Amino acid sequence: MAHIPDGVVTVPVLVAGAVASAGFLGLGLRALTPERMPRVAVLSAVFFVASLIHLPAGPASVHLILNGIMGAVLGWAAFPAILVALLLQAVLFGFGGLVVLGVNAMNMGVPAVLAGLVFRALWRRDRPRRTALLGAACGGGAVALTTVMLSLSLVASGREFLTVAQLVVLTAVPVMVVEAAFTAAALGLVARVKPEMLEEG
Amino acid sequence: MKRLLLTAALVLAASPALAHKLKVFAAAEGATIVGTAYFAGGGKAQNSTGRLLAADGTVLTEFRTDAQGGFRLDVASRQDYRVAVDSGDGHVAETRVAASELPLSLPMGEGSSTPSAPAPVAAPTPATAGTDAIEMAVARQILPLRQQIDALEERTRFSDIMAGIGTIFGVFGIFAWIAARRPRTP
Repeated sequence: MAHIPDGVVTVPVLVAGAVASAGFLGLGLRALTPERMPRVAVLSAVFFVASLIHLPAGPASVHLILNGIMGAVLGWAAFPAILVALLLQAVLFGFGGLVVLGVNAMNMGVPAVLAGLVFRALWRRDRPRRTALLGAACGGGAVALTTVMLSLSLVASGREFLTVAQLVVLTAVPVMVVEAAFTAAALGLVARVKPEMLEEG
Repeated sequence: MKRLLLTAALVLAASPALAHKLKVFAAAEGATIVGTAYFAGGGKAQNSTGRLLAADGTVLTEFRTDAQGGFRLDVASRQDYRVAVDSGDGHVAETRVAASELPLSLPMGEGSSTPSAPAPVAAPTPATAGTDAIEMAVARQILPLRQQIDALEERTRFSDIMAGIGTIFGVFGIFAWIAARRPRTP
């Protein structure tokens, strides 16, 4: 759902995606310290594999994105992690095109970074319930934002808004629900057993 | 440790899963192009818009896939065709049908990929009519096989998944190596 193949979006959208991705990549690379590198690599691998888990949703099938939890745990470093994983998905599985890599990275990476900023600003170590709720909001919210950005990329390329919105949003709802639950559980656990993970960087 | 378990669980749950990617399969059955549009590993692409194009990209006809994602298109000339399908949510797929798949009795069209083929006779003689019938029967017989091979190509292989994970760790390992060599700023 979230991976746009080559030949769908127009040149202005491609350029916008590439420029935005380059900017976020530059900022993300600065957050890549040697100490945090193993964590970035592990979550990048999780993201790479998550797209292979399929949930049946009506006529089509959808897959997890997991960009909310990546942002919450990695912060800015989520962007390079997502970009590397997307590149490999395109090369190995034909998921999304190579030319539109910038657009796809923007659609999934920017919500990740934003979800991370929100989560890190609002979570509290001594308030597990609040942390879990915040995790749900970030997990679901990041998918929702990805969906909106995906729809906008398609509409900006001359697709009819209503058709795109219907198809894309309908298939995204189950993903949002699953990711909200998953992110809440995972971040709730991390906040309990290893809170320093969510504080540094 | 918990994280490791989480990763392991996700990796295991992903065992030979399939990609969510639109694919279109098309082959000639006599003077008809038959095919299906489907999501690799998922369902059929029902009610999607499709276009039959000539080799140079001119649109010859437009169609919609049925509830099984299938379509049938009659063609009038023997030339290379392209079939493009668009599911409307940002997935597109395209495939080709070569002129050599179509029966010899059809009039030669422009853009044929088989210029060396013998010039077709104007009216089907008994000989070519017989050949056409055999070709059509064979085409119908091997169609499911070709469809299966086409779907098999899209299978996500475990080796691909492991290659991807290995490459990711390698890339970040190189990052870490470069970052560690740089003098640390306090």
